[in-house]
Amino acid sequence: MVQEQAAAAGANDAAPSAKDAEQQQPKPFSVKEGMQGIITLLEKAVKTKETRLLMGRLMRQTAMVRKHMTASDLVAFINTYLPMDSKSAGFLKGYVMQDGDTAPMEDDATAAGDAGDGADAGSAPGPSQLPEVELYMYLLLLVNLLDRKQFAQAREVADTAVGLLQQHNRRTLDAIGARIYFYYSWAYECTGALADVRSTLMAAHCTAGLRHDAVGQETLLNLLLRNYLAYNLYDQAEKFRSKAQKADTWRVPGQYCRYLYYLGTIRAIQLEYTEAKEVLQQASRKAPTCAHGFRVACNKWLILVRLLLGEVPERVEFSAPGMRTPLAPYFELTCAVRSGDLAQFRVVSEKFAAAFRADRTTNLITRLQYNVIRTGLRRINLAYSRISLKDVAEKLALPSAVDAEYICAKAIRDGGIDAVLDHAGGFLATRELTDLYSTNEPQAAFHERIAFCLNLHNEAVKAMRFEPDAHKRALAAANGGKEQMSVEEIARAIEEEEEDDM
Amino acid sequence: MSLLKEAQQLLDKLKTAHKKNDWPAGKAVLGQLRIKLIQLPAVPPNTGFSSPTAQQELLLARDVYEHAVLLALKSQDEAALESSFTQLKTFYADTRSLLPAAPQEWMFAGLDLLRLLVANRIAEFHTELELIPAEGMTVPHVVSAVQLEQWLMEGAYNKVLAAGKSLPPECSFAVEQLSATVREEIASCAEASYSSLKLADAQVLMMMTSKKELEQFAEQVQ
Repeated sequence: MVQEQAAAAGANDAAPSAKDAEQQQPKPFSVKEGMQGIITLLEKAVKTKETRLLMGRLMRQTAMVRKHMTASDLVAFINTYLPMDSKSAGFLKGYVMQDGDTAPMEDDATAAGDAGDGADAGSAPGPSQLPEVELYMYLLLLVNLLDRKQFAQAREVADTAVGLLQQHNRRTLDAIGARIYFYYSWAYECTGALADVRSTLMAAHCTAGLRHDAVGQETLLNLLLRNYLAYNLYDQAEKFRSKAQKADTWRVPGQYCRYLYYLGTIRAIQLEYTEAKEVLQQASRKAPTCAHGFRVACNKWLILVRLLLGEVPERVEFSAPGMRTPLAPYFELTCAVRSGDLAQFRVVSEKFAAAFRADRTTNLITRLQYNVIRTGLRRINLAYSRISLKDVAEKLALPSAVDAEYICAKAIRDGGIDAVLDHAGGFLATRELTDLYSTNEPQAAFHERIAFCLNLHNEAVKAMRFEPDAHKRALAAANGGKEQMSVEEIARAIEEEEEDDM
Repeated sequence: MSLLKEAQQLLDKLKTAHKKNDWPAGKAVLGQLRIKLIQLPAVPPNTGFSSPTAQQELLLARDVYEHAVLLALKSQDEAALESSFTQLKTFYADTRSLLPAAPQEWMFAGLDLLRLLVANRIAEFHTELELIPAEGMTVPHVVSAVQLEQWLMEGAYNKVLAAGKSLPPECSFAVEQLSATVREEIASCAEASYSSLKLADAQVLMMMTSKKELEQFAEQVQ
C-alpha cells in the first residue's frame, strides 16, 4: 500500500525523472494485492458462470502468489476472506499455525492492519460464503505445504479437501477441484502410498464423466494413468485408457501433453514403436517452454524408440540447452549402437545401469542388443564384399561362427542386409548393388514426407474451426440486441407518432 | 473350521492327482475345491470379512491355484492354462500385502513368460516382464525365458534348440512347440539367404538327427 502511494506521488509530480525511476525499479509483487485480485476474479467468475476464466487466469495468478506466500500471509487471508465461524477456517488455521513462522499475536495485528488497508483501498472483497473461495483456500494451503515438503500434513489437508469437494456439484468448482485432485495424488505419491488413492481417483473420474466435467475428467485420467505406470502395470493402464471416456478436444494443453507422454510409453513397451515415436514427438513439441523435466523425460524415451526403430538420433538433440547432463548416458548408448559394437554396448549399459533403472528404461535397453548386432552386420556388409563367418563372429563379439551363421541368415531374411550366405565355404558375400532409384525406395520416402505435410495442413485447418456453438452464441446476442432495440424502437416510434399527431 | 479341513482334504487329493498326472480326476477335484474357496471368508474376492484362520485360508487358496496351473501345464490344455494363470496372478497381486512372499511366485511368472513366448504373444510377454522386480529376475525360469526371447529375436536358433534340452522340468510343454517354431524360422531364413545348400548341411543347420526327419519336415512345410 505504501509503495502504491509512493508511485502515485511520483506520477503526480509528472517529472520524467520520477517516471524513469519507476521504470527502472519495477514494483515488487505484493501478495496481498495478488490475493485481492484473485478473490475478486473468483467471485466475478462464479456470478457470471464463466468457467474458462477460472482455468486460465486464476491458475496463472495463483502461480505468481505461490512463490511469495508465507504462513502469516495465509493466516491473514483466511481471516479476511473466510467467514469467522466456518469449520474450514479453524481447520486450515490449525495447519498453518502448526508450522507457522510467526507468533499468533503478530498475525492478529497484521490481520487488523490488513482489514484497515482493505477498507482504505475500498474495493477489496470481504469474507465470502462461496464454496469456491473455501476450497481455494484449501488449495493454497496444500500448495504451500507441498512447497515446504511437509508431505504428511499435506496428505491430511488433501483428504479433507477431497471430502469437501465431493459434496458439491458445481461447474465453477471444476478447475479448482481438478487442481486439488492433482495435489492430492502428488501428496500421496511423495509419501509413497500411491496405490491407496486409486479407487478414489477412479470413482472421481466416473463422476466427472457423468457430470460432463471435462477438466476434471482429463486431469483424473492422467492421474490414474500415472498411478498405473508408477507400478509398471502397463496392461491395466492400456485397458483403462482404451475404455475411458475422453472428450474430443482437450481443454488443458498441459494435460494433453501428459496424456501423449503416457500413451507413448505404453506403446513403446508394447513394441509398437512407430506409433510411440509419433506420439512422443507430439508431446515434446506441444510442451510449454518452461517444462524442462517433462521435455527431458520425453526425449529419453524418444531416443530409445528411435534407436529401436533403427534410426540414429542427431547429435544436435543431445546438446540442446539443459539436455546435455540428463541425456549423457543415452548419448553414449547411441554411440555404441551406431558403431555396432556389442562389447561397448554392454559396457555402457552396465555403467549407467542405475540411471536406466531410475528411468524405468532397462528392459527397452535390453531390446536394443539386437539393433547393435544388426548395425554391426550392416557395416561389415558394406565394408567387405566377402567375409568368412568366423571373422564376422569375432568382429561382432559373438560366441561362435555357427551363431554368426544363424544370425546372418535371419538378418538377410528380415531385409537388414543384402547378402548371400555360403555354407560350404563358410562366408558371407554381398549381393551386387542395385540402382536405388529403380526401386520403390524414393517413392516411399516421398510418400512419408508428403503425408506428414498433409497431416499438418489438416490439423491446422481443424484448429482454425470455430467452436460448434459459436454461431448460436452470436445469433443469441444479435437476437437479444434486436429484442431490446425493438422495445426501444417501439417506444420511440410511439413517441414519434404522438409527436406527429400533435 | 470344518470347511477348512474339508478344503485341506480336497487339496491333498489334488496333489496326489497331480503327482500321478491324472488330469480328469484332478479337474474334478479342482471343481469341488473352487466351490469351497468361494465359501471361505478370507479368500478374495471375499475381502472385508476377517476370520481367525485367515492366514491358513489364504495359504490354502494359493496352493490350490498353483496346483491348478501345474496340472494344466501337464495336460497341455490351452484354455485351462490361460484361465488358471490369470487367477493365480490376480491372487498374488491381491494378497501381496496379506501373505508372506512366496519364492515360487517368480517361478510361475517365468512359466507364464515362457507360455506367452511360445504362443508368439511378444507384446504381452514384454508387458509381463515389466512387472517382475529385480529379485524375480534371478529365478532360473525367468532367466531362461528372457534368454530365449533374446536369442529368438537375434536369430541364434542353434542356442534355442540346445537350450530346449536344459530347461527345468515344468517347462517341458514349451520345448516341443518351440522346436517346431524354430525349425520353421530356420527354414525360411535359409531359403532367403542361401543360393544353394546340400541336404547334409541342411540337416546340420536344422539340428535334426536323421535324413528322414528332414524329408518329413520338408514335405510338411510344402
